[in-house]
Amino acid sequence: MTTTSVGTVVTELETDVVVSAVRRLATDVVELTLAAPDGRPLAPWTPGAHVDLLLGDDLVRQYSLCSSPADPTAYRVAVLRTPDSRGGSIAVHALAEGAPLRIRGPRNNFALLSAPRYAFVAGGIGITPLLPMIEEAEAAGADWHLFYGGRSRASMAYLAELEKYAGCVTLVPQDEAGMLDLDTIVGTPDPGRLVYCCGPEPLLNAVEERCASWPHGSLHLERFAAKEVEREGEDETFEIVLQRSGLTLTVAPDATVFQTMRDAGVSVLGSCLEGICGTCETGVLEGEVDHRDSVLDPDEQAEMDCMMVCVSRCRGDRLVLDA
Amino acid sequence: MSHDPAAHTTAPARRCPDVPHHAWYAAATTEEVGRTPLARRVLGTPVALYRTSDGAAVALEDRCAHRPVPLSDGRVDGDDIVAAYTGFRYAPDGRCVGVPTQVQVPFGAAVRCFPVHDDGSFVWVWAGDPRLAALRPAPDTSWLRDPAWSTFGGAWETGASIALLLDNFADITHVAHVDPEIAPLALGAAPPPLQVTVTETTMRFARDYPPAPLADWNAQVLELPADAAHAQREEGEFVAPGLWVDRWHVYVEGHGDADGTHSFVFTHALTPVDERTTRHVWRVSRNFTPSAAAEGTLAPIFERYYGRVRDVLETMQRVVDVDGPRPEVRVAADAAASAVRRIVERLVAEETGTR
Repeated sequence: MTTTSVGTVVTELETDVVVSAVRRLATDVVELTLAAPDGRPLAPWTPGAHVDLLLGDDLVRQYSLCSSPADPTAYRVAVLRTPDSRGGSIAVHALAEGAPLRIRGPRNNFALLSAPRYAFVAGGIGITPLLPMIEEAEAAGADWHLFYGGRSRASMAYLAELEKYAGCVTLVPQDEAGMLDLDTIVGTPDPGRLVYCCGPEPLLNAVEERCASWPHGSLHLERFAAKEVEREGEDETFEIVLQRSGLTLTVAPDATVFQTMRDAGVSVLGSCLEGICGTCETGVLEGEVDHRDSVLDPDEQAEMDCMMVCVSRCRGDRLVLDA
Repeated sequence: MSHDPAAHTTAPARRCPDVPHHAWYAAATTEEVGRTPLARRVLGTPVALYRTSDGAAVALEDRCAHRPVPLSDGRVDGDDIVAAYTGFRYAPDGRCVGVPTQVQVPFGAAVRCFPVHDDGSFVWVWAGDPRLAALRPAPDTSWLRDPAWSTFGGAWETGASIALLLDNFADITHVAHVDPEIAPLALGAAPPPLQVTVTETTMRFARDYPPAPLADWNAQVLELPADAAHAQREEGEFVAPGLWVDRWHVYVEGHGDADGTHSFVFTHALTPVDERTTRHVWRVSRNFTPSAAAEGTLAPIFERYYGRVRDVLETMQRVVDVDGPRPEVRVAADAAASAVRRIVERLVAEETGTR
């Protein structure tokens, strides 16, 4: 008996929007307001969410939403121009008011969990996902503080918007005050306080290092580049059982779980294919995952109940997936 | 026996633990709320609804702070509600503003006040943290107030958890088994591919059917020959935890004046009453044949169908209650239901901080 293709296709929502406003926020930082051409509500989201901007053939970039979920008619993103990047920020900076644009999402790998106390740590343009978090933490009456570092005041976006939170915000422009003093900010574990950090890789790694002694689940990071993962030996062949589809497939050493599923006609979402964006998260019902992504934190990885199939593999010889 | 004073200040256990609380739920329809108090229950909490003298909807916890009497047994006086039996008077913000037996109002006496959003169709109530309500817009159901659409419907409580209702709407291929007469004939063959589209908080699905004849009742209200075949499209959308919307489009070609897209919109406002009861307000809207005669044909058919859905969901709830939950065999058509479950689990984890 041959397997009949079930034909179920799962995709992320793609929406055609227009750039309804362009604002220069700081040196090399531009903010785009995106709205539906007919002004209809966009899909709801929660703080920490991001969207893909489909900027051209094979040019897809993720940017955090930094507006308020209270406004269903517009999304805002703020983008730092980085000439040495892979081209996304230059394409964004070329967009003018009225430009049509296709977006995908929103999705959220950096969700704000309810907590009585928060430390928000931003490096440069990493301020963006933290803005709606701050709005929500403030509304909920949480005890929060933002530590915001940047090269100089002129390079730091949203300083005017943060003025109303004076007393809860510590600005650390490097040219005036040096680097963020992470030993003071997160050097001592504070049970019950959650740490949300977004910024350049060295900042994330430094915060991660200091939070190693905090209670599990305290630290939440958003990465824009894939984390370096240490590999042990050669990749091996393993078997995946896709429970819902009723298929058993073999993942070759040079293939990914994602590609193996796609080749078999199984619908699985994918976007960055580098283990950053979280799109291809798939439920794991049995087996031990060799996690290689930058999305799940160590606790989430240890739970072994889901995996990013674009990069992660299997520690044994078999995984049973909810797919 | 110990008497623990802290017990009075400890937050009660979270009711409906698997359901998002930071969400808008339609506690009542707009016309149900008036100057006579209305008693409802949302997420296990009793809610009294009424309108102030200028027509603004108010939702207060339906229990007097003095004695355990429902405010809804009392009366509305001006903008306030006065509890029966105790005579305690509460302002629209929940503050106690008068007691019959003394001049001084007891310091801090109040009942919970729930944020409300009256959109002209539903009075949406926010039973989660009231401070966060302004950050989450209530869902849009503007077609229910659009003159281009003719709408009828019904409402009742289903003795089943909201999770069972969401699972049901996520896969309506059951319709052929629940009510063969209403089932579109297009459903009879093997279903076409299911297209599922997700975002962080929403899920939509669609199936495009090749031309097939309509069910007799559908051909009749469209005034089309019973054997004519038409392309059709089925859509379902998890808009928010408290709102599901289905659509059925019939694309008519070659029938003169009848040509065009004839659509049904099925609106389901779902409110968790408690862990195993869900208030279900359903509305059937159509953009064709607005006549009363058409409604006379359609209304009993849908009343019967949704009634049968209610009955089978209540049976499922009884099975789970008696024999306990069990891991389920999943099939490809569960992609939509799985996506909704993941959204709901994530929203619950965020608001309880337990991820």
